[in-house]
Amino acid sequence: MTQIAEKRGLSDIVQTAVEKHGATPDAFIPILLEINRENGYIPAEAIRLARKFLHQPEEHVLVSEGQLYGLASFYHMLNTGVVGRHVVQFCESAPCHVQGARDLWKSVQSTLNLKAGETDPQGRFTLKTVSCLGLCGVGPVMVVDEDVYGNVTPDQLPEIFAKYE
Amino acid sequence: MVQLTINGKQIEVPEGTTVLRAAAQAGITIPTLCDHKELTPYGGCRLCIVEVQGFRVPIASCTLPATQGMVVSTETEALKKSRKFVLSMLFSERNHFCPFCQVSGGDCELQNAAYHEEMTHWPMQPGWNNYPVDSTHPYFVLDNNRCILCRRCVRACGELAGNFTLSVAERGAASIIIADTNVPLGESTCIKCGTCVQVCPTGALIDRTSAYQGNEAQITPVKSVCVGCSVGCSVNLLVRDNRLVRIEGDWTGPVNHGLLCEHGRYDPMTESRQRITSPLVRKNGQLEPVSWDEALGAVADKLKPLAGDAHTGVAAIASTRLPVETLSMFKELFAGEFKAHIVTSTEEGMTTAAVFAVAERMGAFEGKLDVLRTADLTLCLGADIVNSHMVAGFLIKRALPKGMRLVSINPQAGVLEDLADLALVNQPGSDLSLVEGLKAIIVKEGLGRTPLALPNAARLIEEAVRATGIPLEKLTQAARMLAGAISPVILFGKGITAQRSEHLIESLHSLAILVGAVERERAGLISMKGEANSTAAALLGLDAPFVLNGQQAVFAAIGDDYVSGRLVKRLVKAPYLVVQAAYQSKLTEQADVVLPVSTWAEQEGHYINLDGRVQKAEKVLTGPEAVRDSTAVLGEIAMRMNMPVRADWQQAIRERKPSMALN
Amino acid sequence: MKFHRSMVLVSMDADSLRKDAGAVYERFQQELSAFGLNDEIALSQIVEVGRHDILPMVIVYPEACAYGPVSSDDARRIVEEHLYKGRVVEDLLAPVKELSGRIGWLKSRKGAAPMEKRIVTRRAGRIDPENIEEYISEEGYQALAKALGTPAPQVMEELEKSGLQGRGGAGFPTGRKWRFVAGTKSPKKYVVCNADESEPGTFKDRVIIEGDPHSIIEAMAIAGYCVGADEGYIYVRGEYQLAQRRLERAIEQARAFGLLGKNIMDSGFNFNIHVHSGAGAYVCGEETALLESIEGKRGEPRARPPYPTTHGLWGKPTLVNNVETLANVPPIILNGAGWYRTFGTSSSTGTKAYTLLGNINFRGLIEVPMGITLREVIGIYGQGMKGGATFKLAQTGGSSGSIIPASLQDTPMDFESFRKAGVSLGSGALLVCDESTCVVDLAVALMKFFKFESCGKCTPCRVGTERALRILTGISQGKGKQADLDTLIALAAEMEFASNCGLGQTAAVPIRDTLKHFRAEVEAHILLGVCPSGVCEMSAELQTA
Repeated sequence: MTQIAEKRGLSDIVQTAVEKHGATPDAFIPILLEINRENGYIPAEAIRLARKFLHQPEEHVLVSEGQLYGLASFYHMLNTGVVGRHVVQFCESAPCHVQGARDLWKSVQSTLNLKAGETDPQGRFTLKTVSCLGLCGVGPVMVVDEDVYGNVTPDQLPEIFAKYE
Repeated sequence: MVQLTINGKQIEVPEGTTVLRAAAQAGITIPTLCDHKELTPYGGCRLCIVEVQGFRVPIASCTLPATQGMVVSTETEALKKSRKFVLSMLFSERNHFCPFCQVSGGDCELQNAAYHEEMTHWPMQPGWNNYPVDSTHPYFVLDNNRCILCRRCVRACGELAGNFTLSVAERGAASIIIADTNVPLGESTCIKCGTCVQVCPTGALIDRTSAYQGNEAQITPVKSVCVGCSVGCSVNLLVRDNRLVRIEGDWTGPVNHGLLCEHGRYDPMTESRQRITSPLVRKNGQLEPVSWDEALGAVADKLKPLAGDAHTGVAAIASTRLPVETLSMFKELFAGEFKAHIVTSTEEGMTTAAVFAVAERMGAFEGKLDVLRTADLTLCLGADIVNSHMVAGFLIKRALPKGMRLVSINPQAGVLEDLADLALVNQPGSDLSLVEGLKAIIVKEGLGRTPLALPNAARLIEEAVRATGIPLEKLTQAARMLAGAISPVILFGKGITAQRSEHLIESLHSLAILVGAVERERAGLISMKGEANSTAAALLGLDAPFVLNGQQAVFAAIGDDYVSGRLVKRLVKAPYLVVQAAYQSKLTEQADVVLPVSTWAEQEGHYINLDGRVQKAEKVLTGPEAVRDSTAVLGEIAMRMNMPVRADWQQAIRERKPSMALN
Repeated sequence: MKFHRSMVLVSMDADSLRKDAGAVYERFQQELSAFGLNDEIALSQIVEVGRHDILPMVIVYPEACAYGPVSSDDARRIVEEHLYKGRVVEDLLAPVKELSGRIGWLKSRKGAAPMEKRIVTRRAGRIDPENIEEYISEEGYQALAKALGTPAPQVMEELEKSGLQGRGGAGFPTGRKWRFVAGTKSPKKYVVCNADESEPGTFKDRVIIEGDPHSIIEAMAIAGYCVGADEGYIYVRGEYQLAQRRLERAIEQARAFGLLGKNIMDSGFNFNIHVHSGAGAYVCGEETALLESIEGKRGEPRARPPYPTTHGLWGKPTLVNNVETLANVPPIILNGAGWYRTFGTSSSTGTKAYTLLGNINFRGLIEVPMGITLREVIGIYGQGMKGGATFKLAQTGGSSGSIIPASLQDTPMDFESFRKAGVSLGSGALLVCDESTCVVDLAVALMKFFKFESCGKCTPCRVGTERALRILTGISQGKGKQADLDTLIALAAEMEFASNCGLGQTAAVPIRDTLKHFRAEVEAHILLGVCPSGVCEMSAELQTA
């Protein structure tokens, strides 16, 4: 029952994304971004649906599942696998690294008991490393979902993570 | 033309030629791994980089267009050093240990390049990353451990086969070749054409059937032609020790340009039918092995008294997969000497009779598949082209991303639906109304390219909507797309031709003229024929319906063809049945005499494909000892009955006007 | 930490020492004591400043006055007049001579403190970026109006005369690029703004877009008018959500005001702009990868030539400019090339936005004239090293930038001087590191980034980044071998030589520079099993010889 509801939800998400951005090649990435945003990640089913909705006679847009998956896995903001309820993005670029991220990264991993790319069994957190977020002025920087944390120190971590259930 | 200098040598090449090709023309070899002459240049492997005067950095010659006055060096010390280093990078990236690889020792372009660059060792430790080997596919294995990420397979899958199943996932060092949404290849949308395997420079994509059966040095490739369908693809047959090791598409093939489909590449490799190795004669209800002499004697004894008895004598049917030599002899023997009333082919003219009847009056009107190269719209009527004539389907599919539009109208739902810009379903039997309706809409809207008077256009449109069950709006859309195209092509298949309606073919022809599909030199109207020698059978007049009515004996020349259940059923009542075949089937089981003959690869023969190309299949294998050439068997029967046969097939096929130019 | 009001630098390279610079230095020490200025004024040494004709040379900061050649007796006058009384000793000033362009900046700043000069960031933070009227009230869209009333070739000539060079890193003359695109014959052309600012440590473009989005729109419209394009794309990196929203809103407002769309300002010129979001790929900052990405493909850089100026977006001639470059355009059009050339050096005109990062007291964005030195930037804008630590190295231009050791601190930061010093100015990121930074650990962090961001199209970059990371990681864990350094050098050389795009060509620059300037430190990891900075965890057992 819930599964059917979820399926329909995905179809709606994909259809809405295609309608919003249009069935043109330059809309592929915006469409995938939107699906990722709405659904948390891009399951294979979403790619099949996107391909279907993109195939409109007037636009003559031809794209294969392989091409869309190739896109989704190329761009780091797009997830092709399931993610937790909250995504922790940790900047591991050089500026943050020399500004304290070296030690902070160890603390983040031990506090969450996760390594880069992992999701905890409860599906609460997914830990990802990212390249520079352009917030180096307040590095080290960590982003949880859409919330940005700057000048983070290891002792602040428990308090920060506690905000996300 | 532009002039350039490579390594001090003056070279003149046409504009747009890449430096790599220009060098090749001048006999200068530039090593490359990702480049393939049938694929869009990629510039990824970096083996082919050259130094060009005026450029800060070296440039990949495969993607670099030659320009006037360009000065290129390909053998500087820096380049040689770089090539070697880049190669060593590739070797260290994944598992390239030759001893365990099926392509090493000749077929591996990576290994060959290393020899060429005189690489003696790998300066870097290999990566030791393991990738799972995907062996879910029935015909080939995808082993990312052997992959050098040249993307030839990905490009071939999309650019050549138009299928876009293969793709690259992830990025950087983690890049990996995948199918669809990273599903096992065997469960993917792969259409099993094997083009990816044919272009893979390493052992990352290997063929199950030919693995470890020998490499190029031990195999003799022979150019021949595929007899899977009437497209007539050119093939290279790779043979070792009288065994077919592999079939590859011939890149110089005039129709297929190197492509093959699953059937062409793998059916002969996975043949599982039981071969007939001795003549058989039914004795006391049982088929028993006998000598050729006995079998032929039995046939001659039975048939001789029936000669000249047109209606109740012999009925003869031959497969359209037989070479034209056999078909011609078959016709001469049964229609000429036996004067049999029923002498036809297993296709019974389903795909050709009406078309050739029209050609009889109008002359040749069909075009060549080459028109697809320049077409901006293809209309498929009653043709499930990507399944029935797969390689022709590739030519369409690969043109779609380049802008070609596809409209399909078929009584069967779902045909080409996935690919077509517009896929419509019409009521069975409404094709004439449909074509007339399309014409009427075009005339009414003044979109025609040539004048056509249709006083009753309104009524025709009304009739078309009623008969086809397609809404006016959709019909109009199709008509407008067709009329709006600059160089449209109309392909029609069995759904149209099986109706045997000359009127329908003529109507289609006038539609083709109206929209400019047929115009001056250009002939963009083609019927998709049946089996390999459909056209030859039609030229020989072997295209009548096969209806038994009191005939005392039936001669069925099947060759290595598959036998349809329908034919078996119809021949159950034959009082006496002679079957000439290579493989056991339900038909041979019910025969009175079975004459074992060669397969396509065991005898030389000619085939005329659907657009009129006369092509030769070579004898590359020697069949089992007791098996005979299918033409020779007919000749022996004739001899035993003292019937003179000229066996001049080239003359025989000229007796009827072809529907297309022969070449 | 202790603040000094002035700093005196005496050139002490071999050449200067031969000309008695040692005595000059000693004399400065004595005189500063004599005048009781020891606590207020720092005395230091520099090497190799590129002016062999005026050695020994003395530079006084913050005024950045260069004196030379200086004798011991001159030292007394400089201390008394300049440092004690605050008057520049005019007759001792080094003659202004642009031998190499290296210290041409002295001309424009003689006697005055180097000022932050804001051109591209002048409105950021001062106006409401979501209100077009505030932009208009600050000279907004006046440059567009002026351009539309001027023949396009004349506009481009002005731009070319201004000397503006691309701020994306390569420094290609902007006016010339515009002329290339204008010169192509195609009914359809595009203007693309590269706002895929992904170079680690760089966020100047974000500040410009978030604070002054209309300046980009105005510049793109001017560009469209000049090159003959009617459509533009702004490719904003996916992580910059706010910047995207601001741009979309600004475009909407510009359209409502008739500043975008059809027949702009009754000139007959049509122009529209789309905002296109990236999705997380550093390589898309490379212009051809960016175009691929807009076309809905994997961001793999194309082979060049042909270049985007002739075969760009959808195969059409395309002008691709960086955000900062474009932001310079309206003020140039409005105030003229002459005005613009008063900033910076004669070979690198205008200002440059830098992001200051690392172990310094002030981290953030500054915009200063071209030609200012790194020492000035750290001392004045960075307010010195954090906690009074010692400067060890700086990396310019983000991850692919050069590693600058202390000895190069006085090279003026402009395109030409940097090019001559073999350093890249890059995107304007300045990562300043103190002694607590280990060069091996930093190289590992940088290479991790490149391995992650390599698109994987070409062999040297795809394999090279992975190999280099593996080797560097080994060294950082004490598992390195001396032969690894040769492999690293060979890798770096081939990546630079044979890679398809700038990413691969520059990915190994930090390695190359590290081994050039800090080889001993790297070797300490290998030969002694010691990380001199105490950063690397040398986990492996030491191998005994």
